[in-house]
Amino acid sequence: ENREEMLNSKSNRLTETLEEANKLFDEVSRPREAALDAQFLVIASNLGKEKANELHSEMTTFDTALFAEDLLTFMGINRTEVDENDSGFLPSDAWEKVGEEAMKYFRRAPTFHYMLGSFKSEPPVAKQRIERQKKASRGEAKRAMPAQLKKMEESHQEATEKEVERILGILQTLFDNDPDTAISFFDFVIDPNSFARTVENMFHVSFLVRDGLAEIKLDDDELPIIEPTKSRKGGQNDRGPGARNQVVMSLTQEDWK
Amino acid sequence: ELVQYLLVKDQKKMPIKRLDILKNVIREYKGAYTEIINRAGRTLQEVFGLQLVEIDSKHRTYILTSKLPCAERNHPCRAKEKVKMGLLTVILSFIFMKGNSVKDSEGSHHPPPQNRYLEITVIPLTDPPQFNYHWGPRALKETSKKDILNFVAKVQGKTPKFWMSQYNEAMA
Repeated sequence: ENREEMLNSKSNRLTETLEEANKLFDEVSRPREAALDAQFLVIASNLGKEKANELHSEMTTFDTALFAEDLLTFMGINRTEVDENDSGFLPSDAWEKVGEEAMKYFRRAPTFHYMLGSFKSEPPVAKQRIERQKKASRGEAKRAMPAQLKKMEESHQEATEKEVERILGILQTLFDNDPDTAISFFDFVIDPNSFARTVENMFHVSFLVRDGLAEIKLDDDELPIIEPTKSRKGGQNDRGPGARNQVVMSLTQEDWK
Repeated sequence: ELVQYLLVKDQKKMPIKRLDILKNVIREYKGAYTEIINRAGRTLQEVFGLQLVEIDSKHRTYILTSKLPCAERNHPCRAKEKVKMGLLTVILSFIFMKGNSVKDSEGSHHPPPQNRYLEITVIPLTDPPQFNYHWGPRALKETSKKDILNFVAKVQGKTPKFWMSQYNEAMA
């Protein structure tokens, strides 16, 4: 009944009560009384344990109220302002702030989530890859113009455009230097040192053909030659009236070698 | 397969029972249970940095904890989770700082938490019933007295040694 009183560290009430119980037990004769006594012992021992606990924590008192105040400060509440219009509400992210700090002190397994959807892929890059694969090969060739790969600082799309322009420039120059000699397509695109660059060159040349800036024809030996279109109509979307064929070229590494 | 099962079951943060594992995953390979569990544990450790921990040897239940050091784990976390952990940490702090156990007579109003962070026991022969609050097995595995003391120190802007007896207990 008088739990609180007994728990008070200054009180000897618990000891007194135990002594009284001891005396009383000598007079016990009925089982019911013995049961009561047992109950009493349970309560007394619990109280004793609690008293011991409180003694312990009184050594370095933990001030709950102060903790609460500090928590509120941590949540970002300015205590001096609150007193006047204390509506009693915390800011919406108050507990989140506490939680964010608190998580650092736990070894909690991150909650497993399914990734919905695939990784984001940039359409331009994907499209180029597909185009690159649709080429069929023919014949062989020897050495040709090495093409240097520029540093890809910009996005893939921009780099491709630049590369295409550059190749057009080279083609134009080649042609202008010697307009009567056909330029072998394979001589033009193959890089004897790199299969990858060869494929890229073919890829870039395909843009030129698509946009009508270059033509590929077959010469007398049935080998493809390339030249810039004579009447440049300008504009990338200008699909001129000339016959347009689609050719799929494939070039394996073996062929290239 | 067991690894996947454990990961999914851990989503709810409820302890995983051995019986369930046997029934749903291992089934006819009962005899190799120990070996399978051990291998799953290794995979969880090596691939995910997670630890399979048994928290109740009587009922054989498990939880997953993280093996990686606390400060470096900055994994994305939903706001709801943060809020719950915030409140929980405050409660755990309170319990520890007050001598590992706190009593309250309001316990009966709330359902006992399944997450095993807290353990609530009835104080016998109290009327109206009073309850004791202790740290639960999950709390004991996922954090420590030292960690929680550090949390309190951080919030209050003091050094952990400010509370000498709690500090000694935490370092023991």
